[in-house]
Amino acid sequence: MTTPTPAVRIEGLHKRFDTAVAVEELTFDVGENEFLALVGPSGCGKSTALRIMAGLVPATRGAVFVRGRKVGGPIQDVGMVFQSPILLPWRTALSNVLFTAEMRGKRQAEYRERALALIRLASLDGFEARYPHELSGGMQQRVAICRALLLDPSLLLMDEPFGALDIMTREKMGFELLKIWTATRTTVVFVTHSITEAVLLSDTIVVMTARPGRAKAVIRVDLPRPRDVGTLRDPRFAELAAQVRDNIEAQWVE
Amino acid sequence: MLAKPRMNLRPVIEAAIGFTVILLAWEYGTALLRIPSYVLPVPSAILRRFRETAAVQAQHLGATATTTLAGLALALVVGVLLALAVIYIRPLKAIVLPVLAAFNSIPKIAIAPLFIIWFGLGMESKILLAFLLSLFPIFVNSVTGMGEIEPDVLDLARLAGGTAWRIFVKVRLMNAIPYITDALKVAFPLALVGSIVGEFIGGNYGVGYLILSGQFNLDTPLVFACLLTITLFTSAAIGLVVLAEWFFLAWRPSRRVR
Repeated sequence: MTTPTPAVRIEGLHKRFDTAVAVEELTFDVGENEFLALVGPSGCGKSTALRIMAGLVPATRGAVFVRGRKVGGPIQDVGMVFQSPILLPWRTALSNVLFTAEMRGKRQAEYRERALALIRLASLDGFEARYPHELSGGMQQRVAICRALLLDPSLLLMDEPFGALDIMTREKMGFELLKIWTATRTTVVFVTHSITEAVLLSDTIVVMTARPGRAKAVIRVDLPRPRDVGTLRDPRFAELAAQVRDNIEAQWVE
Repeated sequence: MLAKPRMNLRPVIEAAIGFTVILLAWEYGTALLRIPSYVLPVPSAILRRFRETAAVQAQHLGATATTTLAGLALALVVGVLLALAVIYIRPLKAIVLPVLAAFNSIPKIAIAPLFIIWFGLGMESKILLAFLLSLFPIFVNSVTGMGEIEPDVLDLARLAGGTAWRIFVKVRLMNAIPYITDALKVAFPLALVGSIVGEFIGGNYGVGYLILSGQFNLDTPLVFACLLTITLFTSAAIGLVVLAEWFFLAWRPSRRVR
């Protein structure tokens, strides 16, 4: 699915913190409208790589290009979802979704329609006026996804967004995200350590090595879309999952 | 879900019963133990004196309330601004915090006479005492409320294009409001202490002055009546803060129905 000019190009990315090397020689492309998963063991620098892509953290060496432009500071055309929903407790669900618009200096009214549409898309209708503490963990995270998508970013970065949820909710969230992504087709870089999640959601999986993180393997996920619960029972799904697992396990031997 | 405040009368009734028992014991116990009125006047005598002096009480309370609220307002403005400076100008934190902490360890009542020398017998010295006593809790809570923001929230705001001003107004200040209302509940009685101590030391008005004149004349019921006035004033003020919290801070998790 890679187009001639990739949406995101990561070129020889290096990141060193004081003494430890977090990311080393990380290179890969993300195609336009592609859903790419970064998979790897804990502490392999996946989250660091994501933060560098957003321009929140400077790289030690190498560069990230978003649509050909080198990232050199917080970039505005990106939506971000973190592991915890970090909703503002004094705002209702709707108002939390509108937070990004306000930060950009837009009027709430201008984005209200879109916010409500996203809330519907995330199966949250009826919960617009609820405060975060009145929502379940999964619902809170869906509000966070709507908030990230409100300004229609050309790149959505997700840092283990379902990592803090229980297994059952997590699986359901995977399908919710599929539904939202199918409707928006935003370019996504999705950090996870769940192999199932990566295979179910993405077009491309980049397996990273343990510290320092490098791209060990790039696996194309050729499962047909739209995907649903049935996809999990597709024999090809099991094959791909095994392939990802082999690449991760090979590191244990090394 | 936010619950409609369901009237649960039980604690109110229990408190009322307890209060009545204490008052009755006080009223009839003092007579039984032959405690003279100038040592411990009975509640009915206090209430009578309170009613007799109502107009004078109100007049003096007006003065005390003015200096207390002015001092508190000043502390609110200065406390929040100081907290802002400490949060946005990093090196200041290392200077301001220890200085304020050291200053706070001085019993501020002890420097009240100095204030009379510096600022005279008028309102100024009382306002400044009230200000000084209530500044610290407001400052400390403002620093916490504006400073303790999850780094991810700030990253998110910056990625969305948030300017420092927008982040301050929509994130830091909003986050600090419940901390500040909490601080007000502590700071109000402290400001009142500042005013009354100021009135003790100099001047010829205020509830503090009225207490002193009661003391000179061995009019103990008047002293108690003044205490009743102060208590009612404090309760009303804190009640207002609580009421405002109830209306405007409906999102607080403490409002969760258990």
